Amino acid sequence: MTVIDLTRDGGPTGSERISLEANLSPKRRAADVAATIAMFLSFAVAAIPLALIIGYVFSKGGQVVDLKFLTEEIPNSYRRVGPGMGPAVVGTVIITAAASVMAIPLGILGAIYLNEYGKQNRLARTIRFMTDVMTGVPSVVMGVFIYVVWVLRFKAQTGFAGALALACLMLPIVIRATEEMLKLVPDELRLASLALGARRWRTTLTVVLPAALPGITSGAMLAVARAAGETAPIVLVTGLTFQTNWNLFEGNNTTLAAQIFRNASQPYEGAQLRAYGAAFTLILLVFACTIAARLISNRFATKR
Amino acid sequence: MNRRRPLVRTAALLAVSAIFVTGCGDSGSDSSGSDSTATTVQSETSSAIADLTGSIKGSGASFPDAFYQEAIAGLADVAPDLTVTYEAIGSSSGREQFAQDLNDFAGSDSLVKDDEGIDPDSFSYIPTTAASIAVVYNLPGVDELQLDGPTVAKIFERKITSWDDPAITALNEGVDLPSTEITVARRADGSGTTKNFTKYLESAAPDDWTLGSDDTVEWPADTQGGQQNPGVAQIVTDTEGGIGYLDYGNAKELGVSMASIQNSEGNFIAPSIEGTQAALESAELADDLTYDPLNGPGADSYPITAPTYILVHTSYSDATKGEAVVGFVKWLITDGADSYAADLGYAPLPESFREKAIAALDAVQVG
Repeated sequence: MTVIDLTRDGGPTGSERISLEANLSPKRRAADVAATIAMFLSFAVAAIPLALIIGYVFSKGGQVVDLKFLTEEIPNSYRRVGPGMGPAVVGTVIITAAASVMAIPLGILGAIYLNEYGKQNRLARTIRFMTDVMTGVPSVVMGVFIYVVWVLRFKAQTGFAGALALACLMLPIVIRATEEMLKLVPDELRLASLALGARRWRTTLTVVLPAALPGITSGAMLAVARAAGETAPIVLVTGLTFQTNWNLFEGNNTTLAAQIFRNASQPYEGAQLRAYGAAFTLILLVFACTIAARLISNRFATKR
Repeated sequence: MNRRRPLVRTAALLAVSAIFVTGCGDSGSDSSGSDSTATTVQSETSSAIADLTGSIKGSGASFPDAFYQEAIAGLADVAPDLTVTYEAIGSSSGREQFAQDLNDFAGSDSLVKDDEGIDPDSFSYIPTTAASIAVVYNLPGVDELQLDGPTVAKIFERKITSWDDPAITALNEGVDLPSTEITVARRADGSGTTKNFTKYLESAAPDDWTLGSDDTVEWPADTQGGQQNPGVAQIVTDTEGGIGYLDYGNAKELGVSMASIQNSEGNFIAPSIEGTQAALESAELADDLTYDPLNGPGADSYPITAPTYILVHTSYSDATKGEAVVGFVKWLITDGADSYAADLGYAPLPESFREKAIAALDAVQVG
C-alpha cells in the first residue's frame, strides 16, 4: 500500500529509498537519526497526557458505570452516593443530535458553495472570513447569544436552545473541515465527470462528495465531539433537570458535560464519582458516534 | 479495513444499544415521618400537597441548596405527581432569572435591589430557613478557638497575620496558639454568604471593618479566593493556619474546625442549630417578611446567622403552576423543614414566622 502511494505521488520506490539511505554521509545520517528521535519524543510527549487522561477516567469512572448508572435519575443532593446519569445521557444524545441535524447539512452545503460555486468571489471570501472568526468565538459567547435572542424571547430554557447554541459552535468547524476536504479532490475527477456530460450538481453529488466523504465525516465528528463536550452554553441556556426529559422544546434539560461540571466541583465523594462516571460515559458516547459515522460513510465513500 | 469490520460493528452496536436503553428509576428517599408543633398547619398542607401535579422550577441561592435538594427528594413520597427542580446558581443569578420569568420561584439570601427589574409589588419574600455561617480554621491541636467581631474583622482585613497575635491569645486563655501565619480564604464568586458575613462584620466591628458589605467586596490582595462554599473549605483544609467562612451544613459535613464567636451579649457561641434558633427567636419579622438575625440579641444566639428566602410571584396566570409553587413552598417550610432541615445544619423557622409566611402564600393569586 505504502509503495503504491509513493509511486503515484512520483516519489522513490522502496528499493530506491534504501539505496538513497546507504549513500548518506555519517553526518547526515546522524542528523536523520536525531530528527527521528526528536519527532518520536514529541509524539510521546503529546500522547502521554492523552493516555493518562483516558486511563484515569476509565479506572475511576469505569467502576461506577453500569446499566443502572446510565438509566437512573440523577440524585438531587450532591451528598448522596450512588448512580444516576440517565437524564444527562438522554439530554446529551438528543441535544447533540438536534444540533448535528441543524449544523452538519448546513455546513456541508455551505462548504460546497464555497469550493464548487463561489470559489474566490466576494461573497465566498466574506463567508470564509466570517467562519474563521466564528471558529475563534468562545463557546460561552455563543451561549450568551442564544440566551439573549432565544431564551429571553421565549421565556424558557429548553434543550432546543442548547441545540441551537451547539449548532452555532459546530457550523464553522463543519464548513472549514468540509471545504478543506473538497479542495483535496483532484480537479481531474471533476473535469472527467463534466466531459462525460454530467451537470455540475451531478458531478458534485456523485463524484466530488463521495471522494471527500471520509474527510468530511472526520470533520463532522470533530464538531460533534466538541459539541457533546461543551459546558458553558448548556449551563446557560438549558437549565437543569434531575428527571429524564425527552422533549427538546419544553422544560429544562441537562447534558453529561454540564453534570461533570456540577458534580466535580463538589467535595463529596458520591458527586465526584458521578462526575467521573459521566466523563467515562461521554467518552464512550463520542467514541460510539465516531465508529457509527465511519461505518456509514464507508458505505457511501468512493472505494479505492 | 474490511477484515476488522464485523468486530467494529459489534462494538458500535453494543455501545449504542447500551446508551439507548433507558428507563425511569426511583430516587431513593429516607423516612419522611415527622411530628412537630405545627399540627394544624401540617394537616392542611399534607392533604393538599398530594393532589398537586405538574413541574415547577426554582433557581438561586446555593446556601440552602443542600436542604432544598434533600426535601425535594423526600417530596417524591408525599406528592408523586409533582416535579420540583431547584438549581443552585447563586442568589443574584436566581433573582435575574426571576425578573426574566425563566423560573417559577427564586431562592435568595439577600434582598432584591432596585435596579434588578423586579416590581416590588409583584412578589413576596417567604423566609424558608436560616443557618449559621461558620468561621472555620485549620490549626492542628487547637480544638477550641474563640473569636470576637473586631478580631475576625482584623483577620479578614489582614491586619492580624499570625495566630499568636495578642488580640487572639487574649480571647483564648490557656490555649497554646502557634505562630503560624494566617491564610485567609474567602469566596471568589458573588455570594449571599459573603453578603451576610460582611454585614455581620459591619455591625459587630464598625471601627475595624472598612470593606463594606456586598455579594463580593474588595478583599485584600493576599487573601485566597475559592469557588462556592466547598471551594473555601478546600483552601482551609489544605492550608495549615487557614481561616475562612462557610455555611454550617457544609462545615459540619466536611469536618472542619469551627470557631466560637462572641455574640452581642458577650457569650462565645459555637455554630449550631440551637444557636441559630436562638438568634431567630429574638429576630423581628418585618412587614415584608424579611428579618435580620445578624448580631442580634439573645444570650444563646449565634451572631453570624443568615436568613434565606424564596421569592414567589404575587400572582400566577398558570393555575397548575401557581398551586404547585404555593403548595410546595408551604410544605417546604413546615413538614419539609421539620423532616430534613436540622440533620443538614439548617434551623426550621419559629412558629410565628411560619404563620406569617403561610398567610403570605395564601394571598398569592392563582389562575
